[in-house]
Amino acid sequence: MSTSVSARPVASSYTEWLRVQEDDWLSELLRARPDVARPAPADVASLAGRLIGQVSISRALDQLDAGVLQVIEAMVLMPNPIAWTDVTSRLRGVPADALLHSVDRLTGLGLVWGDQDALHLIEGVRLLVNHPTGLGRPLAQLTGDPAADPRSLVESLPALAADERALVQRLAAGPPQGLLPDDWTSEDDPPGMISRLLQRRILVRVSDSTVELPREIGLAVRGAAPFGVPRLRPVPAAGQVEPATLDKLTAGAILGVLQNVEDLLAALDVDQAGVLRSGGIGVREHRRLARAAHVSEASAARLLEISLAAELIGIARDGEHWLPTRMLDVWLEQPLAERWATLAGAWLRTSRQPGLAGRRDSAGRTLAPLSPELIRHGAPATRRAVLSPLALTAPGTSWPADELLALVTWTAPRRGPEFASAARSVLEESRLLGILAADALTGPGRALLTGAGDLERTVATVLPPLIDYVLIQPDLSAVAPGPLQPELSRSLALVADVESSGGATVFRLSDASLRRSLDAGWSAQDLHSFFARHSRTPVPQTLTYLIDDIARRHGGLRVGTASTYLRSDDETLIAQVTADRRLTDFGLRLLAPGVLISTAEPDEVLQALRSAGYAPAAESAGGMVFSGLAQRQRAPGRRTSPPPRHTELTAQQRETVVRRMRTGDTATQAQRRTRAIPSIPGVTTATILESLQRALREGEGLWIGYVNADGQASQRLVEPISLTGGFLRAYDHRREEPRTFAVHRITSVAPADD
Amino acid sequence: MRAGAYSGQVTDGPLIVQSDKTLLLEVDHPDASACRAAIAPFAELERSPEHVHTYRVTPLALWNARAAGHDAEQVVDALVRYSRYAVPHALLVDVAETMARYGRLTLATNPVHGLTLTSNDPAVLAEIRRNKKISPMLGADLDESTVVVHASERGRLKQALLKVGWPAEDLAGYVDGQAHDIELNQDGWTLRDYQRESVENFWAGGSGVVVLPCGAGKTLVGAAAMAEANATTLILVTNTVAGRQWKRELIARTSLTEEEIGEYSGERKEIRPVTIATYQVMTTRRKGEYRHLELFDARDWGLIIYDEVHLLPAPIFRLTADLQSRRRLGLTATLVREDGREGDVFSLIGPKRYDAPWRDIEAQGWIAPAECIEVRVSLTDDERMSYALAEPEERYKMCSTASSKRPVIRRLVEKHHGDQVLVIGAYLNQLEQLGADLDVPIIQGSTTNKEREKLYDLFRRGEIHTLVVSKVANFSIDLPEAAVAIQVSGTFGSRQEEAQRLGRILRPKADGRQAHFYTVVARDTLDVDYASHRQRFLAEQGYAYTIVDADRVG
Repeated sequence: MSTSVSARPVASSYTEWLRVQEDDWLSELLRARPDVARPAPADVASLAGRLIGQVSISRALDQLDAGVLQVIEAMVLMPNPIAWTDVTSRLRGVPADALLHSVDRLTGLGLVWGDQDALHLIEGVRLLVNHPTGLGRPLAQLTGDPAADPRSLVESLPALAADERALVQRLAAGPPQGLLPDDWTSEDDPPGMISRLLQRRILVRVSDSTVELPREIGLAVRGAAPFGVPRLRPVPAAGQVEPATLDKLTAGAILGVLQNVEDLLAALDVDQAGVLRSGGIGVREHRRLARAAHVSEASAARLLEISLAAELIGIARDGEHWLPTRMLDVWLEQPLAERWATLAGAWLRTSRQPGLAGRRDSAGRTLAPLSPELIRHGAPATRRAVLSPLALTAPGTSWPADELLALVTWTAPRRGPEFASAARSVLEESRLLGILAADALTGPGRALLTGAGDLERTVATVLPPLIDYVLIQPDLSAVAPGPLQPELSRSLALVADVESSGGATVFRLSDASLRRSLDAGWSAQDLHSFFARHSRTPVPQTLTYLIDDIARRHGGLRVGTASTYLRSDDETLIAQVTADRRLTDFGLRLLAPGVLISTAEPDEVLQALRSAGYAPAAESAGGMVFSGLAQRQRAPGRRTSPPPRHTELTAQQRETVVRRMRTGDTATQAQRRTRAIPSIPGVTTATILESLQRALREGEGLWIGYVNADGQASQRLVEPISLTGGFLRAYDHRREEPRTFAVHRITSVAPADD
Repeated sequence: MRAGAYSGQVTDGPLIVQSDKTLLLEVDHPDASACRAAIAPFAELERSPEHVHTYRVTPLALWNARAAGHDAEQVVDALVRYSRYAVPHALLVDVAETMARYGRLTLATNPVHGLTLTSNDPAVLAEIRRNKKISPMLGADLDESTVVVHASERGRLKQALLKVGWPAEDLAGYVDGQAHDIELNQDGWTLRDYQRESVENFWAGGSGVVVLPCGAGKTLVGAAAMAEANATTLILVTNTVAGRQWKRELIARTSLTEEEIGEYSGERKEIRPVTIATYQVMTTRRKGEYRHLELFDARDWGLIIYDEVHLLPAPIFRLTADLQSRRRLGLTATLVREDGREGDVFSLIGPKRYDAPWRDIEAQGWIAPAECIEVRVSLTDDERMSYALAEPEERYKMCSTASSKRPVIRRLVEKHHGDQVLVIGAYLNQLEQLGADLDVPIIQGSTTNKEREKLYDLFRRGEIHTLVVSKVANFSIDLPEAAVAIQVSGTFGSRQEEAQRLGRILRPKADGRQAHFYTVVARDTLDVDYASHRQRFLAEQGYAYTIVDADRVG
């Protein structure tokens, strides 16, 4: 038993118990349950009120691992106050330190209070746990028959047939409900096992399709282990991947994903994809891009999503097309390690869940990649939850995916049903990005998750060295047997066509590709010396011949680059402009009679001409008066990760909150001394809410003090019916009918039998 | 435990595995030959130029490997062991999945129900049964994993199953056929190692294709297979002359006598224990019906040999579908089919059983080394103008038959005075003109078989030094001493035609001379484009082409 609990003075209520805790302890509580600290509670009483709110309790429960949940679920089965020894004695098989950790965690979260002889479970928890430790509801509650007697049922258990026993044992182990086959009716199966069990009330039908095993029977079957089999932390069977192998796999994945993204976005650059009305990208476009990048459609969807997260693609200003953003141009200039860091970092932070693409929503429609429907605010947390257990292992430790997921699920079993599939796609994406390889966290992956060390340098160390040569072969293919230096890679992409990419790149030299390089301003001599310099093998005669042959024919038509032309029928004006010294910076050159060209941009030239006193008019490509400057289209970038909502509080923030509450408490107590009212209207104290919950659960009558909308106070005797959304529904003995009371106007509560 | 699956030794291996499933093998690497041996069973050699060879892992190649008894683990191991960089994970998964598809379905003979299709995975069988194209070929279900197959559908079923990606393993066996004693007459010669290996692999596999370069002695592989079968044999060849050549060879190299070998062609219709038939006669139709199909049933053949299987015409495929219970041997220099029906060869004739790079066999001295030269001719201004203005469908003929080619062809023939020279072309006018220019005989489609035989014979004996031939000489003509081929025009960009023509001069010469293969093309025209397409296959087989200007020749 934790000394932190027992050492404190005995408290009579939750609020009182909270009030006597140390400041540091309160600060820790606020860290664990940040939702109750915003806005800062006025005093400890209102803090207590927030801590017992259903939503806040639910959040707290979501943080618990399966082991701690088993303990709190066990306590749900016991009435307050609970003796700790009663819990431990019935959870044999759970190691003592795990039990200690559980009670520390539960009190630390404010879900359980008191000392070890009399622990109190916050009433709200009981309402939130559906099937505590996997047990069904009590027989009387299930059947709606208070007279139902579970004892005779329990006594009849030894007489069950073998198949009946097997079913009962399965439901007793939990979950206690079973689904009936779709078309099951009792008439279909009159002598069947389920009918027999239903008739004897060993099973109770709770809906058309569901049966439930009553709690008493479950407990009887469980015998000495009433709270079920201990849910111990799973320990994945660890393997070991050799560092060199791991690095090799990592490099392969990293080079692969970078290449894929480059290919994918190149295809998008050439041919923009339309935006669906739902915001995503259409099936046909998706397929086209996948083909262009030689990846599966599922991978293409993931890569597009990662590109979106990294803001490499976006929707054009017209709102109708997906295209690369300016970020892509920047990204392509970066070294490989930096490119990867951009992608992986964006993926880790994005609140989009790429794995949802291609799934169907509840209406049966397929979710398109890039559509807003893929946003899940829990996505970043899911990624961390899945990968962080691996970050704690020694480098090179591999855990089979299933065992890793089992551990992650154990760590927080209350996460929604989407979690399992989300977690699987996190693993897929991690493999794609090279964060995981061979079921182990890679060096770059570890650096990314932990933020330790220089991420880019870590990436660079696993990548194979860049090479600066190719092997040119007589069949006019050129093979780069490794990742190329970016500059060489760009030159080669100009003079040759890429035929196959991956660890190596295969280029094909052809008439067309060589002509393309001549078009781009290379001379035959440039080509000869380029190949001589970069080929590790003798340049084949065919290639030499081809270059000369093509160069010989090249240039029958001349095409040059000029950003701007100036034309005029007035030759004198042309001569004047050419001679104008103010315009010398623009490199104006007479191309043909009446035509000047410049390498400067049209708008610059226009401006300079105007300020020099000329009266130029701009022309469009068709010779019409100018309408706009042609530019490569770029989409504005878009942030995909909105600021997270429940950020943690810093230690300093928490300290401030605690100090304010202490001040508030002093003020409240000063008020209490002067006024004899047990509670103030407008402040729903924890005690009131908790008393109401308990009365509801136990079915007890209550005296409540109530202030109505007109400000009139009254005392009423009521029988609570339900408590939801801040309203108590209860039978009012004075009015002799059910009434609804606003909880915030209930000023005091006392048991009716007082 | 798990680590073992990945901790293959880290190497600077000779192999680079690309994500598009091509494998690049650096030939000069010390481990290159070990690596080649490891990957050859499951990867098709696509190109073998000087420095880096390209292999491709295709589903067919993987299934070929499965058929030869390799499993996915061996494949993955070979890739991981020799790969310089990490092997893309998706590729490994794909390899395993693809290989697992072969043999999930097996065809077998059930003593009671005849031919049956069995699967150890009822889901696969269910999928197959639902397929509209396949279900009519299936009979009654014997149980959830076995279904009866109509015996006549054995071939078509295999074809259809391959198309849907579930290639069946054919364990239904073969009929022995009518026994007939055939022995190799190894007198003063023996089978070469690669020939023996081809036959062994073929026989162990039951049916299938042997890929060997032109001139590497494919006929002997056929003869050895016949000796192995010791049964009546049907041999399908491309044309009559090739058929007679087979006959001569069989008489010389086996115990078969002239009387035991029949010719079934347009001229003669003999059916004997060993019958050689041409594709043409088999596919002749009269009143819409194939007239000569009965040949397939005329005898209880124990072996069917398909010469030049890459040229097998579609009707023969259809007939072959009905012959699945007989052993089938396909012989070819290249599995490249211009019509892309490699899958049909796989399912109907059988998997590839043997393959050897041309350069390897050349290095062993079994085929002559060859020099490939492209000679570029400049057209005159008049020719260029009429070419530029020609109708698109006329353009290739116009440039490839340009008169400007004639002087250089003559210079080439003069340069190789004393050698046996073949001038090969596609257009008759051009050939006739060349025949007149050079004053040599011409062999073309209308030349009678008798005349052809006579001319070939004179050529073989060295009494004629030069022959002008049309595409009738593309195949299966054995002219051992031909050392120079000059191709002046061709069937557009046909890669296999180029390989066949080179094959004419690859027989090892008595004095070990080099062979010369010239292609005369008209510069700046379609001729160049087609020529470079044609050269792809040989360049990828490691033949380095040299380009020279016409005025440098002679």
